[in-house]
Parts: sequence; structure tokens; C-alpha cells
Amino acid sequence: MDTFLLLLDGLAVATQPMNLVFALIGVLLGTAVGVMPGIGPALTVALLLPISLSFGATGSLIMFAGIYYGGMYGGAISSILLNTPGETASIMTAVEGNKMARSGRGGKALGAAAIGSFFGGTVGTIGIALVSPFMVSVALSFGPAEYFALMVLSFVTVSAAFGGSVARGLTALFIGLAIGLVGIDKLTGQPRLSFGVPELRDNISIAIVAVGLFAIGETLYIASKKIDVDETVEAIKGSVWLSFQDLKRCIFPYLRGAGLGFLFGPLPTGGAEIPTFLSYSTERKAAKGQSKAEFEGNKGAIEGVAGPEAANNASAAGTLIPLLTLGLPTSATAAMMLAGFQQYGLQPGPLLFTSNPTLVWGLVASLFIANFMLLILNLPFVGIWVRLLMIPRPWLYAGILTFATLGIVGAQGSAFALILLLFFGVIGFVMRRFGYPLAPVLVGAILGPLAEEQLRRGLMINRGDWTFLVTSPIALTIYAIAAAAVIGPILWRMMARDKSKTVFAMDGD
Amino acid sequence: MSSGHANEGAGASRSSDPNRARDLGGLAIAAGLFLFAALIAWDGTTYPVRQSYAQFGPEIFPYLIAAGLAVFGVATVFMALRNSFPEREPMNLTAVGWIVGALVAKIGLLYGGVGFIVAAGTLFGFAARGLGRRPLWFAILVGIGVSAFLYVLFRHGLSLSLPAGPVERFIDGLFRR
Repeated sequence: MDTFLLLLDGLAVATQPMNLVFALIGVLLGTAVGVMPGIGPALTVALLLPISLSFGATGSLIMFAGIYYGGMYGGAISSILLNTPGETASIMTAVEGNKMARSGRGGKALGAAAIGSFFGGTVGTIGIALVSPFMVSVALSFGPAEYFALMVLSFVTVSAAFGGSVARGLTALFIGLAIGLVGIDKLTGQPRLSFGVPELRDNISIAIVAVGLFAIGETLYIASKKIDVDETVEAIKGSVWLSFQDLKRCIFPYLRGAGLGFLFGPLPTGGAEIPTFLSYSTERKAAKGQSKAEFEGNKGAIEGVAGPEAANNASAAGTLIPLLTLGLPTSATAAMMLAGFQQYGLQPGPLLFTSNPTLVWGLVASLFIANFMLLILNLPFVGIWVRLLMIPRPWLYAGILTFATLGIVGAQGSAFALILLLFFGVIGFVMRRFGYPLAPVLVGAILGPLAEEQLRRGLMINRGDWTFLVTSPIALTIYAIAAAAVIGPILWRMMARDKSKTVFAMDGD
Repeated sequence: MSSGHANEGAGASRSSDPNRARDLGGLAIAAGLFLFAALIAWDGTTYPVRQSYAQFGPEIFPYLIAAGLAVFGVATVFMALRNSFPEREPMNLTAVGWIVGALVAKIGLLYGGVGFIVAAGTLFGFAARGLGRRPLWFAILVGIGVSAFLYVLFRHGLSLSLPAGPVERFIDGLFRR
């Protein structure tokens, strides 16, 4: 019952006019970037990080969460109409969704996706409210050894789950960890990797790293491709409203998808790719009669849209549980939100629930509101979003670069920040080109300093004795999971040398 | 740090030839990783020695990371020799040059003190040109329009501080009246 009261308090925070405005801005931006291929929610939060400093902690975090949820809705639109997923979470939606659009049922696909997103998001958000207090009570007993183990788990799973190669993922992680070293050491005041440059002594802002890797690197990558892909936008055919018959077909996919998404979201497996893939294959296997024929033919089955869309929104919600209760980001967007918390001097974790309950529960309550806003934005107004797909690429990317540099210059106040931005942009480009995932760099740069703090605090308590790391049973369990997460994908690739592995080989952003 | 990754950049630009060059690109990344690891380790040796209960100071984490980078540098060498990097498409160097040039131009113009609007407009124009929009003067003109709008919005709407030159001081003057 306690949870319910806290949630009501949160609702009072979330319905303050300014916070409603921030939620609306967030869902609008999120849907817009979700629609446009190549720009994801992680990049958008990164772009807004420096600019949002004047919005206040609650307002900007509500906005960031709205972007995250909105991105999951918007991704479905480009998947269905363009067959180009706006982000990795929508890859599975494109399979059946685009077939439906080409056979004249695009409206229904969009409707099933929007309702599925709403369902998955709502179930997931209820899950946050129910599970978080329990997680907090567990996490309060954690010491340096457990926290360090959790961070190691986060490191290895993010690196192993993103991208096609464990070695490249871990390389990306170590590059990120090295970036996190730059600046003054918190415990001793020793400047590291600064080489006498004053701007480097003050740490490299995570916004510069993220915007450089994602915005600049992505623009360079798009520009570097010689061949222009010929894309055709399907017009929306048919009503977006579902008939009773359609809804009946969607109910079980919604339930299963939301369940899978919520289950996988909190695990550090790298966002929504795995649950959406599992949801799609479950629906395909479960299909009978007419829907089986639609899965196998060219018509496209509505279940194949409904399940993954419920799954990706539920996983977005699930991702917020470890972020809020443990301070562990399990996706690139969650990593950027963690940077958002840090920008205001807040450290997500069990203590945040007691020290700042209005912020936490206001954020959770605002997720319900954001979901309602998104349902309205995506059912009757879906036509407006489709226009965004028509923006010519030169203007779009020139605009992104202008905006990216504006935010960095504005927040850092020096042109030196732009030199760093260009540097990280080139690194991001080279990594993209050679098939390195980018998310582990971010997670390493953000969590690295925190992991170091826990490690050295533990060493200090135990007078330099390393064995404290492996004497706690909880920590040992976490290490076992981490080891399984690295070895698992390798075994998976060795055993399943079929088409299904390519789904996991796609790059996450 | 910059020396290590400059090598990576050079590796990518050399990789237009699909078969032989692929190895070189990967090996250049490995070399970059080794250099980076050496740099971190060297930096660690320059820290003064401290007495602490932890028995380890600020150098312990850098040493661990340097070791990790070196290990994966070795792994990268193997990946490069076995050609296990994903296939790369031929690179459009001109376009990449325009985008990098756009950022360099903005950095240079900001250090030169021309202010945000002209610098960002030039960046916008160069970037649009790199992605195929011609002519350049038109793209820059559009860019100056866009960045003038952004300047007013963020400087006077959200009071973000942006570098000011003659144009910006003129606009600020208009708003003060």
C-alpha cells in the first residue's frame, strides 16, 4: 500500500503544468527521432543533455524518459512504412509490418503497434512501481564488493550482447573505461591523462563523448557510404483503428510480448533486441490457420507486429528498474539517462528512493502520462509523423551537426570542447566502420569511475586485500552470471550457425 | 591519447582496397590500442607514490585498463590477420572530408572570434554540401539563417551562453532595447 501512496504523490508531481509540458516535449521529440532512421533516443538525450541544464532535475528527467518511450513508438512507423527500422528495437516489427503495409493494411499495422506499445509500456511501468521497492530493500544491503560485481556484470553483458563480436565489444568497453580515467582522481586529487591541459583536468563531459560518437560518428558514417539506398515510403492504407476481430488476435501477443520485454529489460543484455526477437519467433511458432498463412505468405501477420511492439516498450520500462534502483544502465539510452542524473549531482540507487522520493515517483508517474500522450499522438495523428520521413538528408544531417555543436559549445563555453567532439566523432566513425559497438564505450565511460571508486573503497576497508571481491556469496553469484553472459553468446554462435544469429549481429545504438 | 587514435583514422582512410587493405586497417587499430595502452601505463608511472590503507593509489585502475587494452590489441591483431572484421563498403572520402572540414571550419572560426552564427552557418553549409547539396554558397546561406534562429532561441529563450561576434552583439543590442 505504501507504494500506492508514493505513486499518488508522484502523480501530483507529474501533473504539475511544467512537468506535463516537459513530458509532452519529450514524447514529441522521442517519436520524431524514433521515426527518423539513424537517429535514436540515446543520441537525442545526448544532444539535449547540455541544453537541459536549465530545466531542473525533475523536468529534464521526465523529458528524457518521454524521449525513451517515444522512440519506441516512433520506431514502429518507419519500420512499417519504410522497412527501415528507426532503431534496433524495431527490427522485428519491420518484418511483418512492412509486408502488411505493402498489401494495403499499413493502417492496421500502425494501430496494432501503437496499442501494443501502450500496453507494453503500461504493464512495464506498473512493473517498475511494484518491483522497485523490493529491489531497493535488497540493494540496501550491498557493499563495495557487490556493487563492483554488479558493474562488472553490466560491463561484460553490455559488451557481449551488443554487436557481433565479444572481442570487439570488450575492446569498445576498455576504450570507454580509459575515457573515464581522464581528469582529476576523486579520491586523491591526482590529475590523470591530462597532460597539463586544463580542460582535460576537469574530466571529459559524457555529453561530448556521446554526441561525438553518435551524432558526429553517425553523420560521417552516412556520408561515407557511396551508394544511396533507394527507399520507398508506403502510404498509409486502411484505418488505424482495429476491429474487434483484430484486437482478439492481438491480445495474446500483447501479453506474451509485454512479459518477455519486462523480463529481459532489467537484465543487462543490451536493450530490446533479444526480447523483440524472442517475441517474434514465439508468435510465428504459435500461429495457426489464417495467421500462419499470413506469416508465411506476403500478406504479413498482425501478431508479428503486436508482440514485438509490446515487448520493446515493456523492455524500455524494465530497463529503468536497474537504472533507478541500482544505478546500472542496461541500454545506451539508460546510460545517457544516468549521465542526466549525474549532471544534477544525483546518483541513482537505493538511496535515491529515500533521499529524493518525489523525483523518483514523479518520474514513474510521468511514464503513465507519457504513455497516454503517445497513444493519442500515434493513433489519430500518425500521418504527421510520416512527413518527417520526407526531410532531405543533407538538411537533416547538417541540422543535427549544427544542433550538436550548439549544445556542446553552449554548455562548455569553449571551442576546445569542439576539438574533443571531432576527435570522438572520428573514433565513432572508425568503430562503426570496423563493426565495433558504441554502447559499451558509453557504459564504460560512465560506470568506469563508479566501479573504480567501489574497488578502491573496498581495498581501503580491507587494507589492500583483493580477496574481499570474491568472499561475498552474492558477488560470486553475480560473477557467475557475468561469465555465463560472455560464454553464452560464443556457444550460441558455435551451435546455431543459421540465419537467426544475424539478428543479434546487428549494431545497437 | 590523440596519437593512438590518429592511427585508427589513418587506417580507415587507407582501406579503400577491399582485400589487402582490410588487414592494414585492422592492424592500424591494433597499433592504436597498443599505443593508447602504453600511454596510460606511462601516465600511471608519473604519479607520486602515496601511503594509503588501500596500498594502491590512483595508478591501479589505469594499469588494469592499460593491460586490458593491450590484451584486446593482441586480439585485434588476430582479427585483422584472420580477416574477421565485417566487410566494409568503399568509402566516399570527399564526403567525409567535407564533414570533417565543416567541424574544423567551425572550430577555426570560433577561435577567430567571428561568433556563433557565422561559424555554425558555415558548418551547416559544409555538412549539407558533403551530403550532396549544392551550391555551397546557398547551403551556407541557409545555415546562417538556421543558426541565427537557433541563436535567438537559445541565447534569449533559454539563456544558453553562446560565443558572440559582431553579428551576435548586434542582435543582442536589438533585444536589449
